[in-house]
Amino acid sequence: MSSAFSGDETAPFFGFLGAAAALVFSCMGAAYGTAKSGVGVASMGVMRPELVMKSIVPVVMAGVLGIYGLIIAVIISTGINPKAKSYYLFDGYAHLSSGLACGLAGLSAGMAIGIVGDAGVRYFCHIFFISFHLLI
Amino acid sequence: MSGSVMLGESSSWSRALVKISPYTFSAIGIAVAIGVSVLGAAWGIYITGSSLIGAAIKAPRITSKNLISVIFCEAVAIYGVIVAIILQTKLESVPASQIYAPESLRAGYAIFASGIIVGFANLVCGLCVGIIGSSCALSDAQNSSLFVKILVIEIFGSALGLFGVIVGIIMSAQASWPAKPV
Repeated sequence: MSSAFSGDETAPFFGFLGAAAALVFSCMGAAYGTAKSGVGVASMGVMRPELVMKSIVPVVMAGVLGIYGLIIAVIISTGINPKAKSYYLFDGYAHLSSGLACGLAGLSAGMAIGIVGDAGVRYFCHIFFISFHLLI
Repeated sequence: MSGSVMLGESSSWSRALVKISPYTFSAIGIAVAIGVSVLGAAWGIYITGSSLIGAAIKAPRITSKNLISVIFCEAVAIYGVIVAIILQTKLESVPASQIYAPESLRAGYAIFASGIIVGFANLVCGLCVGIIGSSCALSDAQNSSLFVKILVIEIFGSALGLFGVIVGIIMSAQASWPAKPV
């Protein structure tokens, strides 16, 4: 094959896969964060039901990660338009790496929110309980 | 990123990809959209259902209310079916000379990526809703005022499947095949 072959026809593969990575990994992080802190809130709520509504904060934070992934995925996928602007392999790789960056960062953030939220919510129950007794 | 080192040569990944028919990628995308979504829904339902039935032994009052968790998991499978049907209506037949044209390759990749997004987003959504539904049933058995509060968390979880569907449909709008020559 001569050097006349340029792989630009296959550049959208990497671009679309970048958008997919952005959404899928951020959703994985959001799901982990929501599930893990949700379980903590439920176990804590059995002892102190009045604290449940205050403890929903980690769940909301984790949900926001999914929105970040959605935004980046939409920006990337509407940027892949070879008719409007020529789309080289460089653009494809750039979109792939931006999608992976957003997605994997969201995944790690979600796991952190889950673990910290779970532990924090359970601790919140105890600390509130102890300070209430001290107050009495 | 490529196997070749000569200047002016392009990536060997592209040389391999350009030989694969876009219909292969489309078919795999559609299959993943529905298959993996249903896997997520099933996984969520079995997590929720087993906890629900176990908790209902001592607290039979929880069964009818907590079926909502099962319905949230089922919705994830329905999203997968809807998107798979939408994606398969995007398939068009293209004359043999144009199967490997840049525009058809792009359409194939768009359908593939759309299917992957919907499938895996619904998988994690189903798992998340299943785990929270299980703890919802268990805490409802202890104290009925907790049901609605934990349900709020479950609603946050089920939004993830919707994100996948939204992006999947936006991306499938990019799947435009070359026009047939008149």
